Amino acid sequence: MEMLKRYRFWLLALGVTLVLPLTMRSGTLATEVLVYAMAVMACNLLLGYTGLLSFGQGIFFGLGSYGLGIALTRLALPLPLALVLAIVLGAAAAALVGWFAIRQRGTYFVMLTLAFAQMFYFLAYTTPDLTGGDNGLLDIPRPPVSLFGTELGSLAGPWQFYGFVAVLFLLVFFLVLRVTESVFGRTLLAIRNNEERAQAVGYNVRYFKLMAFVLSGAITGLAGALHAMLMGIAPLTNIDYHTSEMILIMTVIGGTGNAFASVLGAAFYVLLSDWLSTLWPRWLMLLGFLLIAVSLFIPRGLWGLGEMLWRKMGREPAKPIGQEEQA
Amino acid sequence: MTTAILEARGITKSYGKFNALGGVDLRVMPGTVHSVIGPNGAGKTTLFHMLTGTGTVTAGTIVFDGKDVTREPDYQRVQRGIARSFQVTSLFTHLPVRENLRLAALGTSPRRAMDCWRRPLGQLACADTVDSVLQRLELTRVANAEAGTLSHGQQRRLEVGMALAARPRAIFLDEPTSGMGIDDLAAMKHLIRGLSADHTVVLIEHNMDIVMDISDTVTVMQQGKVLMEGTPGAVRNDPRVRAAYLGNMITGGGK
Repeated sequence: MEMLKRYRFWLLALGVTLVLPLTMRSGTLATEVLVYAMAVMACNLLLGYTGLLSFGQGIFFGLGSYGLGIALTRLALPLPLALVLAIVLGAAAAALVGWFAIRQRGTYFVMLTLAFAQMFYFLAYTTPDLTGGDNGLLDIPRPPVSLFGTELGSLAGPWQFYGFVAVLFLLVFFLVLRVTESVFGRTLLAIRNNEERAQAVGYNVRYFKLMAFVLSGAITGLAGALHAMLMGIAPLTNIDYHTSEMILIMTVIGGTGNAFASVLGAAFYVLLSDWLSTLWPRWLMLLGFLLIAVSLFIPRGLWGLGEMLWRKMGREPAKPIGQEEQA
Repeated sequence: MTTAILEARGITKSYGKFNALGGVDLRVMPGTVHSVIGPNGAGKTTLFHMLTGTGTVTAGTIVFDGKDVTREPDYQRVQRGIARSFQVTSLFTHLPVRENLRLAALGTSPRRAMDCWRRPLGQLACADTVDSVLQRLELTRVANAEAGTLSHGQQRRLEVGMALAARPRAIFLDEPTSGMGIDDLAAMKHLIRGLSADHTVVLIEHNMDIVMDISDTVTVMQQGKVLMEGTPGAVRNDPRVRAAYLGNMITGGGK
């Protein structure tokens, strides 16, 4: 039972990767859930753990898409290297955006990330030789996974690719879980709670925020790269401010308490919008109503709602942070 | 004569044309309780901000333990052995008391605090330090409660604990008794007196009963300058100090 509790998030994430193929017909849609789940976890690291509302996530996502696209189509790099390039691009852009943005707080911080989002969007738009401009980068292949020349498996089919993404997703989930539960993650929570105090007890707050940004950018870059492979193109919309907005909305809907909440948020958003778009072309409006409802009535998101229901059912609440040292 | 652990010279802090501090000199001897008193607006808290690095000086130098720390930000001064409490309680209100103190204890080892992999267990839990501070502040019973849910008196004690958990060489307490009830006052006085066994204590305090009773040295500030400095006895009997306080606060017994 203790083991179950200790690894509950991990088991939940594993469960999601197994349930999606069993219940869904479209491998593409299932993969999309996992891809966005990664981006949302990365956003949660900033919003939920550090208290930073970043509109820069689309930059990292888009750069990941472009990075992978260029690496595979123009540079003919092997797939692992292309993915690494996307991760590095995302991290580097996050370091740049973060370095400037964390000099300000609150509204001005948000405005700075927005400004960067606009800048990178137009940068991508005005360099069609590199990015394909309006059309995006087309014909991004899905080369088979190989290690030292031996082919391990094809990614051509939608479920084959799903398997590949699921492995990476679980890896990222494990990583994010470790980081958020680590000393570093706890310090981020403290910074979110009271920045002045964190600084006064000896923490270099700017450094911590910058590290959170870099980590977030790296993961978002990977998600962007996988998205490009999934769609076969790296469209301009991936680096659009709308992508940042979408990732933020998923983060808020899921709840900012833990990594699994982000998976919930992504799954809910992706599946719901897929369903709504078959009902009504103006489905985004319905999504607007949903966001209003979440903000008003369940500010702690789907995870918070679940926790509340769990407690109403008479179960004991989850242990708050910081109590396990006593155990 | 022993050397001062903290030596501040000509500390000036200006906000635009207004000089909050106009050249303050302060020498704090190791192992003493050094109180800074003065009427509201005298610049005591501003001086504290300068000494602990919460703010930066406009002019002047601060030497702590033989090192010039004038340009160092607060988080670096913590590594040198400076820790502080705030006049307005500043805690991690959403986190448990124990976690507050663990964060404060680990703040002195910044490298370990950047560990992205291990959970704060074992050595990283700083359990010895945290437990001893909890005990000293009589907060053991509420160790797992969120700091924001504590009573005012408990929060003020935890505020002192945040400085204590860093095991500093010099501890700066900015009005630790502010807003406290009579019952809590005696306990706080006892606590501060106890601190002086292991720490140099620099104290801003309005309660003259406490100041006169436990200080080795008292510095009186007025309008951003040092009015006088001396033993509690000398300060109590100084006519300038009496005038600054309009004669009604300095006799002891508190305001």
